[in-house]
Amino acid sequence: MISNQAGNIEEFTLNILLLLDKDSKTKLSEDLKARVITALEENGHQIQIYELGKNDVTPCIGCLLCLTKHPGECVNKDIVNEIRKTVKKYSGTIFLTPVLFGHYSSTMASPINKGTGSHKWQVIIGYGEDIDAEEKSTFIDLTAKHRGKMDIVHPGMDIQVDVFVAESIKDNMDIYETLKTCTR
Amino acid sequence: MKNVCLVNGSLRGRKAASLEFLRDIALRLPDQEYSKKIITVRAKVKEKYPEDMLKSLAAADAIIFVFPLHNYGIPGALVRLLEDYYQYQKTGNSPKDTRVYVVVNCGFPRPGETCGEAVRVIRNFCRRLSLNWRFAICIGTGPVVVMTRRIPFLYPGLKMAYAAIASDIQSADNEKKNDYLIKPVIPETIITMIKKFYEKKGRMIERDKRS
Repeated sequence: MISNQAGNIEEFTLNILLLLDKDSKTKLSEDLKARVITALEENGHQIQIYELGKNDVTPCIGCLLCLTKHPGECVNKDIVNEIRKTVKKYSGTIFLTPVLFGHYSSTMASPINKGTGSHKWQVIIGYGEDIDAEEKSTFIDLTAKHRGKMDIVHPGMDIQVDVFVAESIKDNMDIYETLKTCTR
Repeated sequence: MKNVCLVNGSLRGRKAASLEFLRDIALRLPDQEYSKKIITVRAKVKEKYPEDMLKSLAAADAIIFVFPLHNYGIPGALVRLLEDYYQYQKTGNSPKDTRVYVVVNCGFPRPGETCGEAVRVIRNFCRRLSLNWRFAICIGTGPVVVMTRRIPFLYPGLKMAYAAIASDIQSADNEKKNDYLIKPVIPETIITMIKKFYEKKGRMIERDKRS
């Protein structure tokens, strides 16, 4: 993942944006957050954390003006718009969201739908202790299937999107190991 | 008399293509046979959606969700309504055997490839609350369909799908039904050209490449 064109592993510092839902904190999500931060910090990367709440964000209204009239800027001047303006300075974005009916939460829908993720690398981690198999599969398809070259709207715009679902502390440990390995 | 709750999942107000589809369906549900309630999602909600809105959903014999596809999923404002309704039902308001239908209005020409996950989310929602999931109408390039739908002989599939919702609400039949996929009459190549024109006009591609 973090390799140069010759395939050699390079050592450098990543600047990561971490966005999470502060209204849906659970024991599992707090453990996950701590492990994600630890994995990145142990590899010497920098992290900027934003904890977003339902009352901090405005949902995307689908006006498309951020794509046509004033690219990258939302008509709603909320915190997500401020983050979106700075997103180019980050090497990657990590979203932590609860999984509800196989969807990300209404709070996290705001930054995800408004294109607040880095185009270079995004990690979307869903969590929940009572997610059933179909909800897990829906979440993975929703967040991963249409990205990169498979995005029929903007093919290849988001270069890499990695998706994980955490249902237990064991899953959190696996995610920690994966993040640590791929950002080494 | 059947109670039908029509949920407008778009925040675009009068400009919303979803609102046009919702009105089309409402016209096919005569006032003598159906008591209709229209709920529109909100951009800003204090704490949670008002209880009268949640009560209307809980009292409905049928709920019809009409919404635009956002990033292959459901608009955030509608997700919020689903979250609040789920909490409302979980706290002692036992749901009845409500029939649930979905109309997804997607901006792209291939509804079969793009709308699947959004429909699955609503199906998961129904399963969680033991609601009676029926079927979806997935409309490709919604705004184009809105502009051309009144032309005679176009979109017979859409008219059939609307009629299917109206008859299914009245029916006691619980047999599984297939989703309806409505494709635009304008070829995909022309739609892609129009999309690229607006992207170029807005210099979206150039600006994104700078990142």
